[in-house]
Amino acid sequence: MVTHDDVIAIARLSKLYIPEEELDSMTKAMDDIIKFADTINNASEEGVEFDNINNLSNAFREDEVVESFDRDEILCNANDIDEGHFLVRKRV
Amino acid sequence: MESRIKHYNNMLKNREITCTELTEKYLSSIESDNKDLNAYVTVTADAAMEAAKKTDEKISRGEEISLLEGIPMTLKDNISTKGIETTCCSKILEGYKPIYNATVWETLKTQGAVLLGKTNMDEFAMGSSSETSYFGGAANPHNINHVAGGSSGGVASAVGGNIAVYGLGSDTGGSIRQPASFCGIVGLKPTYGAVSRFGLIAYASSFDQIGPITTTVEDSAIVFDAVSAYDKMDSTSQGRKGAPTVDTLKNDIKGMKIGIAREYLEGVRDEVRVCIEKACEVYKSLGAEIVYFDLPALKYALPVYYILACAEASSNLGRYDGIRYGYRTDAYKDVNEMICKTRSEGFGDEVKRRIMLGTYVLSAGYYDAYYKKAQNLRGSIVNAFKNAFKCCDVILAPTVPMTAFEKGNAISDPIETYLTDICTVPVNIAGLPGVSIPCGFGENGLPIGMQLIGNTFCESTILNAAWQYENAVGSEVFRPSQYGIKL
Repeated sequence: MVTHDDVIAIARLSKLYIPEEELDSMTKAMDDIIKFADTINNASEEGVEFDNINNLSNAFREDEVVESFDRDEILCNANDIDEGHFLVRKRV
Repeated sequence: MESRIKHYNNMLKNREITCTELTEKYLSSIESDNKDLNAYVTVTADAAMEAAKKTDEKISRGEEISLLEGIPMTLKDNISTKGIETTCCSKILEGYKPIYNATVWETLKTQGAVLLGKTNMDEFAMGSSSETSYFGGAANPHNINHVAGGSSGGVASAVGGNIAVYGLGSDTGGSIRQPASFCGIVGLKPTYGAVSRFGLIAYASSFDQIGPITTTVEDSAIVFDAVSAYDKMDSTSQGRKGAPTVDTLKNDIKGMKIGIAREYLEGVRDEVRVCIEKACEVYKSLGAEIVYFDLPALKYALPVYYILACAEASSNLGRYDGIRYGYRTDAYKDVNEMICKTRSEGFGDEVKRRIMLGTYVLSAGYYDAYYKKAQNLRGSIVNAFKNAFKCCDVILAPTVPMTAFEKGNAISDPIETYLTDICTVPVNIAGLPGVSIPCGFGENGLPIGMQLIGNTFCESTILNAAWQYENAVGSEVFRPSQYGIKL
């Protein structure tokens, strides 16, 4: 059973705010989804170890220095920049 | 069924139409029909006309053009396009213009493809109706009171409505095949690793795969062959194994073993089951053998998918903080509040629900019971398919248990909507290729689709089986909509 406290804790970890008026509906939605997810615990089998798909192995490439993006290009989608840096409000 | 790509390629080569004229026709159809379909969220008319002119210049110089050159097409709005807004249909990415191209778009662009615009989708590809889109849902070209499906609903609506010749979508739990089924067209989800994911904005990285949405099986093969190649920018890329799929498309299928897993037929509407049974008869008449078997592991496919996909999503979507790109809230006291408010205001309800579920199943105390257990069951499902392919060459199944939902029905009950993905998610769990093709119509006149599932990297087998079916039944199962360009 998912409680209001669970939802508040999960929201904090998810970096989301759940407004007071939406707490009931979000708790119910989460509870429904978790009950649905719980059906896997009815499985009699334990399953088998799964660590990758289609036998993929790590794909390494040579550690070569290649041209990167221009700093201004990287900053072009930011809301606030200052002298080549992303800008956020001062915290301390 | 005539390949639409080849049809236009011939017209261009024979100078029956210029690429500029063809592109203008499509752009003008978008202008009139997109009001009803809401398939496009961004139209790139100027860039399309510029690309079309280049093709015309090439033709007038007497140079050869490739099959995809000058063909007007579209991309789902989660495929990065340099300098063109790519939002995943989310408020949080409003105004975001990538600074690089996804490999698939770079490949097609190099081949001279004409991009008409970016198409509608469920927000971050999370949904089955495209109605979780920040821009509102895409409509079904066969009846605009019904949804086009999701999450690649915009591509399916545009291709089904012929306001694009073809498009690329992405499929995490059925997002190419389900809308293709709803719109009466062809949708291919390739093997995991066959097509580069570089530049595809991630939802669930171990499930996501880009693939074509087209009107014919041959077009699907042409586009798949063009985009399936090893890419060093994607560490999970393996490329296509074997010859181009168009080379084996028309092979005889006498003796091919087509498997029916009984579990796939449980809970589907009668009219869908009848279409599958009729398809079996068509295959028998083509010399294929029908083999029945059980796949009991499928009963856990849906919860396994939702647990694992949401876990991956909660991690992937952690990057949206309002600092480097996208939406940022106006009023905040400190960085933490800025991030939380940005995410709370920028994400829609379904995305928030999935992030929350993903965070829950990964959190201390729940990890073993949900995430680890689901991963192990994923292993069981992978093995079950491996065993199934010892007794058959392809698996035939419904794509969706019903025809397209009426608008508004899908978002009212999330769990009910999740259940409609029952036939599509197993393919993503096991990383297999699957293609949905039209196979009939429901009582309401809307299309019904069936999917052919293959072993890993066996796209040529499923496309061969799909082409043979399409060739045998042709126009019986395909009806053009009232929208778009008339051939």
